[in-house]
Amino acid sequence: MNPMKNLSVIRKLVQITAFIFFVYGGTLTGYYLADKVTGALPALSCAYDMQGSDLCTLIPFQHQMDHRLGEAIAGGGGNLMMGLMPTLITLGTFLILFVFLNKAFCGWICPLGTFQELLHNLGQKLGLRRRESLDHGLVRRMRPVKWLILLLLVFGFPLMTGIGWVNHDLGDPFCRICPSRILTTLATGDSSQLYLDNANTTTLVLSLIADFMFGLMIALSLTIRQPFCRICPMLALHAVFRKLGLLRLVKNATPRCDRCGLCAKACPMDISEIHTEMQRRDVTFEDCTLCGRCVEFCPYKDVLQLKYAMIPVFSADPAYFKPRKRAQRNWEQNSLLSILKSGHATLKPKQS
Amino acid sequence: MNANLYPAAFVLMFCFMMPAPDVVAQTAAKPGSGPEHTAEQHRRGPKKIALTDSKGAVARLWKPDLTTLPLTVEHGNITLPRTGVDNYHAVVVEKDRGHLKEVLIRYEYMHGKPSGHSTSELTAAEKTPFEIVPDPVPREHQHYRSDQRWNFSLRFKGTPAVDIPVTLETSHGTRVNAVSDSGGEFSLHIPDDFPDLKEGERDKRTAEFSISAETKDNGILYRTMLSAAYRVKPSHWQSSGLGVAVTGFGMLAGVLLGSIGLTETKRKAR
Repeated sequence: MNPMKNLSVIRKLVQITAFIFFVYGGTLTGYYLADKVTGALPALSCAYDMQGSDLCTLIPFQHQMDHRLGEAIAGGGGNLMMGLMPTLITLGTFLILFVFLNKAFCGWICPLGTFQELLHNLGQKLGLRRRESLDHGLVRRMRPVKWLILLLLVFGFPLMTGIGWVNHDLGDPFCRICPSRILTTLATGDSSQLYLDNANTTTLVLSLIADFMFGLMIALSLTIRQPFCRICPMLALHAVFRKLGLLRLVKNATPRCDRCGLCAKACPMDISEIHTEMQRRDVTFEDCTLCGRCVEFCPYKDVLQLKYAMIPVFSADPAYFKPRKRAQRNWEQNSLLSILKSGHATLKPKQS
Repeated sequence: MNANLYPAAFVLMFCFMMPAPDVVAQTAAKPGSGPEHTAEQHRRGPKKIALTDSKGAVARLWKPDLTTLPLTVEHGNITLPRTGVDNYHAVVVEKDRGHLKEVLIRYEYMHGKPSGHSTSELTAAEKTPFEIVPDPVPREHQHYRSDQRWNFSLRFKGTPAVDIPVTLETSHGTRVNAVSDSGGEFSLHIPDDFPDLKEGERDKRTAEFSISAETKDNGILYRTMLSAAYRVKPSHWQSSGLGVAVTGFGMLAGVLLGSIGLTETKRKAR
């Protein structure tokens, strides 16, 4: 299969370009926060990365809850609208961007998502035994976690900090545990964000969670697809506004869907509902990252489609599916382990 | 020229004026004073600068859009007015005695509506003939900290000032010397000189440093000074080694979780 006709290859190129731009692009855009592209990116591009070209929208949300809205409430609520205004501006900027790409910011742009995918590819190439898909019960149990993180760590604790109910170390708790902070700073040669903070119990607990989760994510990514994405609050924030995005995953279900299920197997987020959903046309589920893999691996013509403003931009097609499946099989077979095994096999007859 | 001979042209005492009007020069917190913060501490009052020798001093405030406001020096104090825009502003205090021109510059972050201008515009603007320019100024929400190396450049009438000795002096009395290179650039290591630090305890104290230099042109002596606040480096209470160790435990847990999951998958397959 021509790699340039392979959607996964095209996506990988976009992801790597986006990774380089958002992690190192500050050398082009400028050093200061005022130089950054949007200041409300719908992907985990970290403000702690001094060479970054943009910052994720969760950072201003936390700061505004703490220093604007929280303080306005603490001040008696007289300036509530003034306190809310920066958050509305950030939300507006986020939505303008979000309308263009919808949840594809996760599947195509996010540096942390790219890092996990690359690690998973590394696991493949090393010949590590990977889990095809997680148990559906486990996936279902994990889904509320991202909502809890969004509500508590992005909005709740920062707001309570601003009001004065909790200490200042809970002013930006999601940033304190976010693996993207550690990853992107390390990627630029800055190790200052990988630490255990003994200042007090709050900082100690947050830094313990951050470091442990970073290590956990690295190891799990080698064998499981997108482990952190499943609990990422950005995914939850996207889910709230997914009806506004121009890019959608659309399903024209047929009775043949019952017997297949390849779409759910291909999904890196293990969304089994893509397979089972037979009524709804818009199947951009809350965990969907619009990566398009389900469309690639759907063997029936036009059953799954990526549509932009109702115009199909990529549709399931048996003519695409067959070479794509073959290309995937070849990719998975060529691992270090298989090379070593085949080398060992060719050596054996000589020894005998 | 000997950088060590400079008398401090202006000595600044800097303070956040909190809502209580009698708070003066209270930037230093006691070590180990704990993490207690309330919303009260986030309220921003006008910033105030105290000059030890303000006679004949003319002060201006440069906004991020490079417009300027005159500042009033009253009894040796300058109160920075609210400008309504956020980002760095530059306070420029000048004294002209004919044969001696002195200037002090300080970059201060102020809050308000987004200015829409990069701090690089403010640093690039020629605010005075002889100027020490931070390259860069600490990014928004960040600070100079002890035991860090920062780059600066020296500019004289818009061109790099070459081979000029510069001195950094902290309010704790430490001095560090450097010389500007062929591009007018130099780097300085901010000393880790906070007294009575307790390892493992967060220390929120701030102190001041000033960088000074002088040059002569057409019989006029130009003295310039850049001042800023710096804080204690966090590695006194943050451990990178332990951070790496915890990450290692996380990786180990990931490997174990992955292998347990695989065993279950294999069992199911059978």
